[in-house]
Amino acid sequence: MKKVSRITLASAVAAGLMGLAGPSLAQAWKQGMTPEQASSTLAPHAGKATVTPAAEIPISKLKLPKGFVAEIWSTGTPGGRAMAMGDNGKIYVGTRALGRVYEVTDNGKERTSRVVVDKLTQPAGVAFQNGSLYVMAIDKVLRFDGIEKNPSVAPVDMTAAFQLPKEQHHNWKYIQFGPDGKLYVPFGAPCNICELPSQEYAQIRRYNPDGSGMEVIATGVRNSVGFDFHPQTKELWFSNHGRDWMGDDMPNDTLHRLGKSGSNFGFPYCHEGSLPDNTITKADACKGVEKPVALMGPHAAAMGVTFYTGRQFPKEYQGAALVARKGSWNRTKKIGFDVVMVRANADGTAATVSPFITGFLDEASDTFWGRPAYMLQMKDGSLLLSDEQLGAIYRISYRG
Amino acid sequence: MLVQGHAAAPRAALSLHQQACAACHGMDGNAPLEGVPSLAGQPAVFIETQLVYIREGLREVPSMQGVVQSLTDSEITLLSRWYAAQPTRSQKAPRDAAAFARGQTLAQKALCGTCHMPQYQGQQQVPRLSGQREEYLQATMTLMRSGKAAGRDTIMTTALDGLNAQDLNDLAHYFAQRD
Repeated sequence: MKKVSRITLASAVAAGLMGLAGPSLAQAWKQGMTPEQASSTLAPHAGKATVTPAAEIPISKLKLPKGFVAEIWSTGTPGGRAMAMGDNGKIYVGTRALGRVYEVTDNGKERTSRVVVDKLTQPAGVAFQNGSLYVMAIDKVLRFDGIEKNPSVAPVDMTAAFQLPKEQHHNWKYIQFGPDGKLYVPFGAPCNICELPSQEYAQIRRYNPDGSGMEVIATGVRNSVGFDFHPQTKELWFSNHGRDWMGDDMPNDTLHRLGKSGSNFGFPYCHEGSLPDNTITKADACKGVEKPVALMGPHAAAMGVTFYTGRQFPKEYQGAALVARKGSWNRTKKIGFDVVMVRANADGTAATVSPFITGFLDEASDTFWGRPAYMLQMKDGSLLLSDEQLGAIYRISYRG
Repeated sequence: MLVQGHAAAPRAALSLHQQACAACHGMDGNAPLEGVPSLAGQPAVFIETQLVYIREGLREVPSMQGVVQSLTDSEITLLSRWYAAQPTRSQKAPRDAAAFARGQTLAQKALCGTCHMPQYQGQQQVPRLSGQREEYLQATMTLMRSGKAAGRDTIMTTALDGLNAQDLNDLAHYFAQRD
């Protein structure tokens, strides 16, 4: 009897949540579209599933500030996006649709790659700590111990400990270990704009490396797929994608600072810390919502965030946040497709955003050839930049 | 390995097509066999992406597995461009005017044209629907609606949510009847 009533209660709760959610999640892709947008043909850009040889990459089109040089560092990793560096310098690269994680090895002259694991569901999250590679797919967490020395090591499946929610949309990950040794993991909203189907979404969590000790450290975060830790304050700074179908110029993607654990960043009621949503409304929508450090452009797809802590780049770059903007789809005229530099005080005030790497987008023809996604600072102070579109990694260095 | 597609010299697209694909997908890429999709006029990126997914088992098509296993990335690209350039030749069954009209209304309501384009000719990673084989469209949409179309965009599961078997039949008839 007891067992039956528990089940009944659980279904009743689930049904209640579904009721609150309004239109079914299933229709999420067009939720928030206005009647005028019904004839729009804006759709996410196609990825490229095949290898792009170096000769077909127009790297010379990139524009950088004086003294900087961009070169093709490695190719042959289709869909490669976030990168993590092993203790011995191997680079691990996650993907989404292709389901692979690559390992890139540099012998000093050239780079070769191999597939570490494949057939996963969007294994976008990669991180490295104490000799182990951590891979996080939408529905799976794997740890490869000692992989740099033992390339064929069988992974430890840690999925159960992390309690991943079931919805897939916006639940591909960016992951990174913090200065506190904990693994930071965002869980996106499973829709464009909606009341959340349950409280497991639109938040950032941190875990002990084994998946225990989970804490929710930020809520109301629609879709963050990039973050880093401030070199002085050690605080989490993260990028966040704004919603679609609210018009060409709003809302902005944002760069946020997590000053206080448990802060609310507004989704679904409030964007940019000050702009109430036009579909999911409530009174005082922006009350108690954190303000962003910087606005990163509407639909620009602000991805990787990397604080530059090297000495190779000029002074003005040292301590600045570099943010890769993969580029817009839900906008009549494309923006982004670049890397920008954000300079701000350590408390996030007085931020300025300026261009760093451009040239992926040809504004005159409104076409692009590459999509910069993530950065990784190398030991010599140069910077790797992944191009998810062409499956290549570029190296940015300063030669004065 | 899989990712070193450019290492092998690519065979010519036409001979690849004739050896590996034509028997089922048709000499000109317009499939004569029930249950087999036409590839003529499909967007190149769509074919390329799906061939990679099928090769690597992300999309399971047992009858294709052996055929595409040995294809390199650059061979897949060549084949995809060749199919994209072939003219479509519809092989229509007689039109059921009522089903056609219902399908047309449903397609408009479901905003299929946002991604598949207003003439349902497809674009980039999104397939052409116009002139595709009716029973193939019907079977594929049924699979997608139940979330079992591995390797296809999960948006399709959401887009077809709430449509019943009759709706899918009507949609399939409408798209297949278009040029």
